[in-house]
Amino acid sequence: MTGSEMERDDTTLADFFAAARDAAPAPSDALIARILADAEAAMPRRAEGPARPGPEPRRGVLAWLGAFGGWGGVGGLATATLAGLWFGYAGLSDPSSLAASVSAALTGGGTAAETTDLLPGGETVALVAGWEG
Amino acid sequence: MPFDAEDSRSDDALLALYGQGDRPAARALALRLTPLALRVAQRMLGDRAEAEDVAQEAMLRLWRAAPGWQPGAAKVTTWLYRVVVNLATDRLRRRRAVPLDEAPEPEDGRPGALAGLIEADRAAALQSALMALPERQREAVVLRHLEGLANPEIATVMGVGVEAVESLVARGKRGLVAVLAGRRGDLGYDGE
Repeated sequence: MTGSEMERDDTTLADFFAAARDAAPAPSDALIARILADAEAAMPRRAEGPARPGPEPRRGVLAWLGAFGGWGGVGGLATATLAGLWFGYAGLSDPSSLAASVSAALTGGGTAAETTDLLPGGETVALVAGWEG
Repeated sequence: MPFDAEDSRSDDALLALYGQGDRPAARALALRLTPLALRVAQRMLGDRAEAEDVAQEAMLRLWRAAPGWQPGAAKVTTWLYRVVVNLATDRLRRRRAVPLDEAPEPEDGRPGALAGLIEADRAAALQSALMALPERQREAVVLRHLEGLANPEIATVMGVGVEAVESLVARGKRGLVAVLAGRRGDLGYDGE
């Protein structure tokens, strides 16, 4: 094929190509909507952040805390727990009496509850963290 | 190429945002890229409904490719052209697999009918003529003269060398001229 034949072809076709480009089919709103629906369905999900609402089954400390409405609801309890732990280690040389005084505190019995202003001590914290024994 | 006046962010940037769960980025991409997918599918298939199916499928593949997309490795549009062309080719192959007496005859462009079309609507005439070409020539001509891609990019889209693209485009244009002028013999058909 000669160069002049190719040029003739180009000239002949130029108008047709231009007309075809001008008349290009445009997507309907319905098609765009279907494509966006596909995008939604295929969209990668962000990793869960702390703001995500709703209870989720978790183990150990978080499950326990969840029953109290999360960290915010147990602020005081957590503080007291830490304080009790400190007081317990600081004030007792006999570990067995710690258990007795904690039990007494939890059950609200007698003198121990008044003198041992402890909330959950070492054992309870250990249980909370999911540790066994 | 279509200019998206609403969003100057690159296709890569939008796709990365979509991959992080950004819905407005998905919308911007859909508005920007669906016309491309639909146009090319329509040119290859000659059927609006099938072209919409192909366009939707191609965009679905883009959404699924987003998480693993490497920015800067390839142009999003080049990738999308390739997917659309491949999906359209698959459909065309399935058409050919239909028994002959049931198949539409895209090559059956009667010169008299085309001559009438030329008077009425050049765009429709061109589309009819495109459907009379072998698929690979049709692809090359559409990408070169209707999408405005350069030959190296067409080579990437079609998976062939640049010289092959030049040859396909030249033969395709020769075929179009022959059909539009009513000279079906030039396309190698006997008789008529």
